[in-house]
Amino acid sequence: MSHAAKKTVSLFYDVMSPYAWIAFEFLCRARNKWNINLALKPIWLAAIVKASGNMPPVPNKKAYSRKDLSRLSTFYSIPINQPANLHEVLMVKGSLSAQRLLTSVQMTQSDMTEHLSRELWMRVYNRALRSLGVPEDRAKGLVESINDSKVKEKLKEVTNEALSYGAFGAPMIIARDENNEEHFLFGSDRMELLASILGEKYEGPLLQYAVTKL
Amino acid sequence: MSTAAKKTVLLFYDVLSPYSWIGFEYLCRARNKWNIDLVFKPMLLAAIMKESGNRPPMMVPNKGIYSGKDLHRLRSFYSIPLNRPANVQDVLMNKGSLSAQRLLTSVQMTQSDLTERLSRELWMRVWSRDQDITANESLLEALKAIGVPDDKATKLIQSIKDPKVIERLKEVTNEALSYGAFGAPTIVATDAKNEKQLFFGSDRMELLASILGEKYEGPLVEFAAAKL
Repeated sequence: MSHAAKKTVSLFYDVMSPYAWIAFEFLCRARNKWNINLALKPIWLAAIVKASGNMPPVPNKKAYSRKDLSRLSTFYSIPINQPANLHEVLMVKGSLSAQRLLTSVQMTQSDMTEHLSRELWMRVYNRALRSLGVPEDRAKGLVESINDSKVKEKLKEVTNEALSYGAFGAPMIIARDENNEEHFLFGSDRMELLASILGEKYEGPLLQYAVTKL
Repeated sequence: MSTAAKKTVLLFYDVLSPYSWIGFEYLCRARNKWNIDLVFKPMLLAAIMKESGNRPPMMVPNKGIYSGKDLHRLRSFYSIPLNRPANVQDVLMNKGSLSAQRLLTSVQMTQSDLTERLSRELWMRVWSRDQDITANESLLEALKAIGVPDDKATKLIQSIKDPKVIERLKEVTNEALSYGAFGAPTIVATDAKNEKQLFFGSDRMELLASILGEKYEGPLVEFAAAKL
């Protein structure tokens, strides 16, 4: 690995977004190959969609996404099993509590953020429920912190930060290149371009570094 | 190249769509590496949008701003001379591409060896040189630029009004819708199990390669026809 300063790649994400899960897993794997510092930035996607005036996908697009995600699940070896009632999960239940929990963890115990994010995605998108392995008292404290005004404020801040870059959905990546210039990339399908911007080599889905399995 | 049967890749596109241009150039280059039969299917994007209930991405301001930056980067990455027209709203929403797509349909019906070059020339006009593609004079210029003799060119322009051509464009557009299209480019590829797979956008080429059992080797700039 190079001795040069690491390039910062910020990932703005919400566990409601399966494409954000793909971007998350890919970037976690890419740390093994690229000289980057991955900064995790939980946001509230519903607020981004509302503020940017974006629209929910039309029926043909929804049907396409199901197939697309099924293929990408195999391609990236990420167990994205879409819930039968995806609409209810996304629109009715939402992700506010989950994103506040992630915000709280990122503020106070950031070494857990990655693991917790993955577990939450697994809960939404995988029927096998895995335990968090966090001691009960710690877990209780974290869940209670969801209602803490500092945590709510921080989530708003990070969501507004995403909007200040011009966000309209998730995942959103802000990458700093060697000249300290910032580049905004949307979606999980700009990784080859990201490599090019970072002066790194793109080598496919990096399955050899996969934490998740099908 | 393998002697096995070529795998069919259908490209449904509209020259109004810059991402369609990227998809088109990439797949043209990929023919040098993959065992595929690339079939050009000019369709009418405006009709796809209407029928699927979708709206152009530019309707969301942040998306419009983002796609400007995105296309600028993809321009270098793919070595395609993409330049946004000065009044992109007018070009996309008002002027449209009906005549251009009908002309491409007519050419694909009667002189399909010209489709590729005409498609590229039309993209160069609207998405590189900020030139008109709606008036007959503009389309005549495009045909001349690809070396079509005057008399043939005039006949092709006249054929834009031919009911068979109008019908054929509707047919191809409906074909795209039957696959579940909601935008452009729409790619339909037949995989090893003889199943048809739908891909939307110009950013699923690595996945497409995987499904076709081919190797993905980046933007294939070495095979670029239109260069920066």
